[in-house]
Amino acid sequence: MDELQQAFVQESNEQLEQFEATLRQLEQTPDDPEAVNSLFRHAHTIKGGAGVVECAFIVEFTHVVENLLDLLREGRLEVTPPLVSLMFACSDQIAALIEVFAAGEASPEPAQAEHGAELVRQLREFLPGNSQAESTPGGSVPAETTSPVESLGGAKVASDCWHISIRFAEHVLKNGMDPLSFLRYLATLGEVAHIETLSDGMPPAEAMDPECCYLGFEIDLRSHADKSAIEHVFQFVLDDCTLRILPPASKLEEYIQLIQELPEDTMRLGEILVKSGALTRQELEQGLRLQSQPHATGAAEESTAPPIGEILVERKNVHKDVVEAAASKQKQVSEKKALEAKLIRVQADKLDNLIDLVGELVIAGASGALMAQKTGQAHLVEAYSVISRLVEEIRNSALQLRMVQVGETFNRFHRVVRDLSRDMGKDVELVISGGETELDKSVVEKITDPLMHLVRNSMDHGIEPAEAREAKGKPAKGQVRFNAYHDSGSIVIEVMDDGAGLNKERILAKALERGVVAPNQQLSDSEIYKLVFEAGFSTAEKVTSVSGRGVGMDVVRRNIEALRGTVEVESSEDIGSTFRIRLPLTLAIIDGFQVGVGRASYIIPLDYVVECMELDTSETHGRDYLNLRGEVLPFLRLKDLFQSEASDARRQNIVVVQYAGQKAGLVVDHLLGEFQTVIKPLGQLFRNLRGIAGSTILGTGEVALILDVQSLVKVTAQQENFSQHAGLPALNTP
Amino acid sequence: MKTIFCVDDSSVVLMSLTAILSKAGFIAEKAASAEEALSKLKSGLKPDLIITDLNMPGKNGIEFIKDVRQMAAMKFVPILFLTTESQQAKRAEAKAAGASGWLVKPVNGDELLNTIKLVLR
Repeated sequence: MDELQQAFVQESNEQLEQFEATLRQLEQTPDDPEAVNSLFRHAHTIKGGAGVVECAFIVEFTHVVENLLDLLREGRLEVTPPLVSLMFACSDQIAALIEVFAAGEASPEPAQAEHGAELVRQLREFLPGNSQAESTPGGSVPAETTSPVESLGGAKVASDCWHISIRFAEHVLKNGMDPLSFLRYLATLGEVAHIETLSDGMPPAEAMDPECCYLGFEIDLRSHADKSAIEHVFQFVLDDCTLRILPPASKLEEYIQLIQELPEDTMRLGEILVKSGALTRQELEQGLRLQSQPHATGAAEESTAPPIGEILVERKNVHKDVVEAAASKQKQVSEKKALEAKLIRVQADKLDNLIDLVGELVIAGASGALMAQKTGQAHLVEAYSVISRLVEEIRNSALQLRMVQVGETFNRFHRVVRDLSRDMGKDVELVISGGETELDKSVVEKITDPLMHLVRNSMDHGIEPAEAREAKGKPAKGQVRFNAYHDSGSIVIEVMDDGAGLNKERILAKALERGVVAPNQQLSDSEIYKLVFEAGFSTAEKVTSVSGRGVGMDVVRRNIEALRGTVEVESSEDIGSTFRIRLPLTLAIIDGFQVGVGRASYIIPLDYVVECMELDTSETHGRDYLNLRGEVLPFLRLKDLFQSEASDARRQNIVVVQYAGQKAGLVVDHLLGEFQTVIKPLGQLFRNLRGIAGSTILGTGEVALILDVQSLVKVTAQQENFSQHAGLPALNTP
Repeated sequence: MKTIFCVDDSSVVLMSLTAILSKAGFIAEKAASAEEALSKLKSGLKPDLIITDLNMPGKNGIEFIKDVRQMAAMKFVPILFLTTESQQAKRAEAKAAGASGWLVKPVNGDELLNTIKLVLR
């Protein structure tokens, strides 16, 4: 896809989003003229864009949608629920077509096209008289009959030139048109053999307005262009001038007629000229319009356009009054739109590039600071500390550039909830708070699927049918809430419902059935709830189209963990459940804690580090766990794990890390302190390597591996479980 | 070099217009809304031609054209508006507001440059 096509896809998707938002609004207030207007505008913009990128199938479909919206806009159709539903369906279809275009396909799949045709059929049912009139999608100008004018006998004028008589209206200059431009352009069609300027219309000097045009021209043009081509030159002033064109070798009478008519005569003879073939339909229409006006006998140039303009201005004023009644709301909308216009659209990879560079700068800065420290020169150290601070600020601002508000993503779910409510026959509303919370764009893109799953889950399993709710004394209308907020370096997204809550017994029974827990195992409530994230776990009694489609909450958990996030659930019976997703603010740079094992350095993400202490070998007796203030702390010796070469360290340290409420110790040789870490992803080759999350480059230029605390904690937990059986942690299995 | 000022809320349309114009040797300025365009004009942009969309959120194209015509410096500048085949009524309204001519969407390059040649002074 080239840049233009990409811009089209992005813009159209944005337009569609707003289209849907407006539709939802229209559902609430069906007689909002501004909503209908903006629906039309969105469809129009998509169609326009599709035309630019020459995507015929989008143009065709959107054209029909636009026609219908145009009727709504003009008040010739009423907004009804079936119509709104159809518009939703059309919005989906347009989205699907855009996807087809984005995938580089030349046309949609037959089934897709069929669906589109069906929608078009339904749309047409709304059109009055199933109007087929406008079935040509914004294509080319309807071909004007360009047959050369035939002269039928009679005395012919010997001239081989077109004769053009034109009188400009006075206000033509005020419309930004210069008669001279036309004459100059006319010369590109052929050779101007003769030109005569007529200044008969010029008033006495004291009455003359220098901003008005009083001139007329008689032009002889030698050209092979046909009549419509010549007329085309004057298309913008057809309403603002009287124009007569006679083809070469016209009959003498025609010229006589012309002479009789000009400059002061009306166009009453227009009909005769059409019959003679010298006039086009357009000329005739203009002629008729002129005749229908009173006082058309006056100077032709004065009697043409202004009345039309006045009528329109008048009509517009009426329209304005109507609109002003609903002004305040409309104003808000337009202010918001104006604000949006201040945004600058930047390509994502340019930002990525910048952030990469800032990452390098962070590394180089750290290296410089290290050198400065070594020299021991106070001034240098001082200078570097200033630079470090600035680099940190640049880092933060650069990362800020990638931040988008999560609300945009949240808003998409209005539609999901609306559709699901209808499908399931439940009345559910979506309430959004914290939409202004910002999150890295790449993270935002990836949480849509998990959120979708959680919403479906809440609506299907969580929220009870209306009768059941009323029986419990709850409002019949269920509620799903989205909330987002920042919490110490991470963002928290909550999906809450006011449904029945998780059913402990059923989860436990299922877990027993699946062998996830042992029959005699004692589990706390939160441990039971956590079971829903286990693979293949679905407590829905029956499989519906909404959830229980083979993908369970474990997929949600895995998706979120892939983003270095966590998900947890809280629930209380008949009050509802809360799924809490915790995500890092950005994926590019983390605060790390540098440790040394043997001669290698490793980075532990600082968020996971709880504390550090010295490992007292006399206490562990060669076991892999120790007593941490009365708690059992399993630990891993990184030296053994990564088979590092033996170190000369006299003592060992243990870094206590915590993940998902579980603590574990990592035994290292040296504690090297905090370190701003730019994450460099590992190559495909290392994709399945457990225990390593990525790599980074240290100030010294050395490479350090970033530890994947999640999987390490899991390993220690397993090791604790079956150390009796196996003894070795199964680390390298994918 | 002549400056042509394009005003449209659709970035796709702006992109294609400015690409064609720059290639043809014009200086292409752009604005994504009537409000932005007016503020650019007020802060001294003096285009030789303005091309504007009619359907825009906020101030629409017709109002924009009227406002432009109110500015002393812009009194006689040619203004083209973008329209579709079916919007005949709009054309009259835009002309009454002070527009010079129109371009039928989707605009192809030759037509655009021809029309510009026609109205540019």
